[in-house]
Amino acid sequence: MDVFGSFALILAFICAVYAFLGGMAAIVTRHPLLVKSTRQAGIATCCLIFIATFSLEYLFFSDNFSAAYVVAHSNRALATFYKIAALWAGQEGSLLFWSFLLSIYVFSVLIAYRNKNGELMPYVGVILAGVQIFFLTLNNFVASPFKALAIPGANGAMDLVARADGNGLTPLLQYPEMVIHPPNLYSGYTGFTIPFAFALAALLARYPGEKWIHLTRKWTMIAWCFQTAGILLGAHWAYAVLGWGGYWGWDPVENASLLPWLTGTAFLHSVMMQEKRGMMKVWNVWLVFTTFLLCITGTFLTRSGVVSSVHAFAQSSIGSWFVGFLAVIFLVCLVAYLMNRDYLKSENQLDAIVSRESSFLFNNLILLVSCVAVLSGTLFPVLSEALSGSKISVGAPFFNKVNIPIGLLLLFLTGVGPLLAWRKTSVESLKRNFTWPLIIGLLSGVVIFALGYREIYSLICFSLCFFVAATIVMEFYRGAKVIRVRSGASYLTSAIELTMRNTRRYGGYIVHMGMVLIFIGLAGAAFNQNVQKELQPGGSMQLGKYKLVLQSFDSRPEANYTGLRLNVEVFVNDKPLMMLYPERRIFETNGETGTMVAIYSTLREDLYVVYAGQSPETKLPVIHAYLNPLVKWIWFGGVIVVFGTLVALLPNRRAALVLSGAQQPAPKPLVHGMTPSVTYREGHD
Amino acid sequence: MTKIQMIRRPGLLVLPVLLCFAGALPLLPAFGDAQQLDHTHQLGMKVKCMCGGCNDSAGGCYHVGGAFSGPCDTALGMLKKIDERIAQGNSDDLIVQSFVQEYGQAVLTEPPHSGFGRVAWWIPALALIGGFALVLGVISRWRKRLTPSPALATAGNAPSISNELLDRARAQAARDTED
Repeated sequence: MDVFGSFALILAFICAVYAFLGGMAAIVTRHPLLVKSTRQAGIATCCLIFIATFSLEYLFFSDNFSAAYVVAHSNRALATFYKIAALWAGQEGSLLFWSFLLSIYVFSVLIAYRNKNGELMPYVGVILAGVQIFFLTLNNFVASPFKALAIPGANGAMDLVARADGNGLTPLLQYPEMVIHPPNLYSGYTGFTIPFAFALAALLARYPGEKWIHLTRKWTMIAWCFQTAGILLGAHWAYAVLGWGGYWGWDPVENASLLPWLTGTAFLHSVMMQEKRGMMKVWNVWLVFTTFLLCITGTFLTRSGVVSSVHAFAQSSIGSWFVGFLAVIFLVCLVAYLMNRDYLKSENQLDAIVSRESSFLFNNLILLVSCVAVLSGTLFPVLSEALSGSKISVGAPFFNKVNIPIGLLLLFLTGVGPLLAWRKTSVESLKRNFTWPLIIGLLSGVVIFALGYREIYSLICFSLCFFVAATIVMEFYRGAKVIRVRSGASYLTSAIELTMRNTRRYGGYIVHMGMVLIFIGLAGAAFNQNVQKELQPGGSMQLGKYKLVLQSFDSRPEANYTGLRLNVEVFVNDKPLMMLYPERRIFETNGETGTMVAIYSTLREDLYVVYAGQSPETKLPVIHAYLNPLVKWIWFGGVIVVFGTLVALLPNRRAALVLSGAQQPAPKPLVHGMTPSVTYREGHD
Repeated sequence: MTKIQMIRRPGLLVLPVLLCFAGALPLLPAFGDAQQLDHTHQLGMKVKCMCGGCNDSAGGCYHVGGAFSGPCDTALGMLKKIDERIAQGNSDDLIVQSFVQEYGQAVLTEPPHSGFGRVAWWIPALALIGGFALVLGVISRWRKRLTPSPALATAGNAPSISNELLDRARAQAARDTED
């Protein structure tokens, strides 16, 4: 099966090269048969990559320990569930998995648009094939996952061998979320290839109008949704497994996942400017290019080891390939832009400074500044060493100091932006839309301050959260009320109906609400508490209102590890609340240890208990307990964000002109002899 | 008062908003002040654990993946040094500087506000200022393009509007009011 997989990868490479070169010839000659054959070559490339990926999984499931990659990342006792995750446990498999996910997108695009957009698709096919060629080059010639296990023989030649068992999977990856976090994150990274391909293709083909935007909007949202879910799942994994009490450490690899998310978020907002007003065309094209370049940069940072990271399991000398690829992509984008920039001229002008257009500009500015801050901070140790000869570290304090104010500004704009009208917002509209949200935001700040909260950023954050939430609830309320008045349905039914009539707008509001919940959770971090203590059986420790009593500790052998478990009883006001079982796992195959944190999670706070290990002096178990307020809001907010994105992806149920049947005065003519077919509304998307 | 006018009265909107979010207030924990670290750990947060196996600060080292989930031996050693220097009456700056002399600037958890370290702080600030100036420039340029429509300027004796222009205006109006 390893030969089979390897052969499939070689064939995939050949097909991709044909799709690339043949596609370019098809663009020049416009020969229908050539166009068709290159598209089919693209589809064949994807199918062959699917075959290669399934071949590697088969090697894992069949415990084929003659394959070097399987030996390095699996063993017989490894649970079946984790044999799926072993695919992306190392460099070679990760890169194949990247090709696999990219192929799912490419396959879907080539099939979905096989009879549509005839002028654009040959360009798209060539660009996608070009990206596939790069990854297939790595899969075939740089980091093949199908290498056989070999040892030097007596005569100096390499002898093929098979091991009885493998080294096993890294303990940190033996956690259920590790089966879904990387696929989500990779699906985000690879998904941004599609809007990139369409943007570049539209530029090269000078494809008319905003059609490429319409074509790629859903693909971008799908990629963004996966990226969001991937980042949050990674944060949850770090929280539940690493045992340090936090969920985001500003590690370079974490930062790498955030960068394309920031620019992708900016694009999802600014793209509306182009759709509605024909503005920001250059900006949008470069935002898509930048997002894709940052996806590759993220992979480079993860794979190259150029910056030190806790994700050291993924590092190698493969980084130079990514630098080369980045340079080529950037040059192609630059040349395409310089040759066709006249095609990107803005069609409209800004009617007023206080308008939705301005809010999008500032939204993009804030997101991009955050992106620059994170990227520069991540790369600064390398830059400082190269330029000044002295390495300067950039840790979490720097990122927090810089990004917290930026995040608060962004949160403020999240509340303001959707309530401003396109073109121009009148003073009356400002009053109508902002008076109560502002009052609610300020009032909540005063109340929270009066309750004794003194952390300034948290205080501002909570106030802004109430402000933004109020704007969103009022938007739903207003719309639902209109439907309710007309249909007599309940508020809930009316709100659902409202959402389904304009999924993009109200799905967006749901996403914003999810972000508000996430910010509430983040603000709680300022009030974290922790305590560490070694305990004898029967001993206790106090943290906040919780009293932790160590009842006993035991050891239980499992198939793949030995679990050292503490039995901790939790009391509140001397009343027993529950048992918690923090655990340390010793993996026999490689001697590594893993942590299983015990968490009692409520909306109010998380009681987070870690079995830190045995005290070197007394050999008694050491418990490290944390009280982390509001953490659950982050995960709940993440679910809401994903749900909102899915809602926004749904087609509208029917036209969204909710006032169409209402008693309205006759519309005034806009210009001499001209009557608009619909009336303008302020403060709506 | 028509039904449409009723829903525009902001006072009517307050109740559901307050109901939704007043309900969230009791969920907020009764925070006191954030936990105050002891002096040693406060200083320990300013210097990195130099074990090479983690990216933590000495004061916040949990050494993920280690045999013990807590400060590793290197971090414990650094905290002990801080303790000793505090006992000797050294100032905070002097204690941090002693680590810089021992390990170089790489020991600091955030870039210094002097020398090349300042560049790290300047970049986000310059990006914000430069970006802000750019946005204002763009807005200003777009505003300059805003000239009175000939159709409006010569209303009264204007030539008739072409169907194409009418269609474009209708399409724009539809885009502005839908979705």
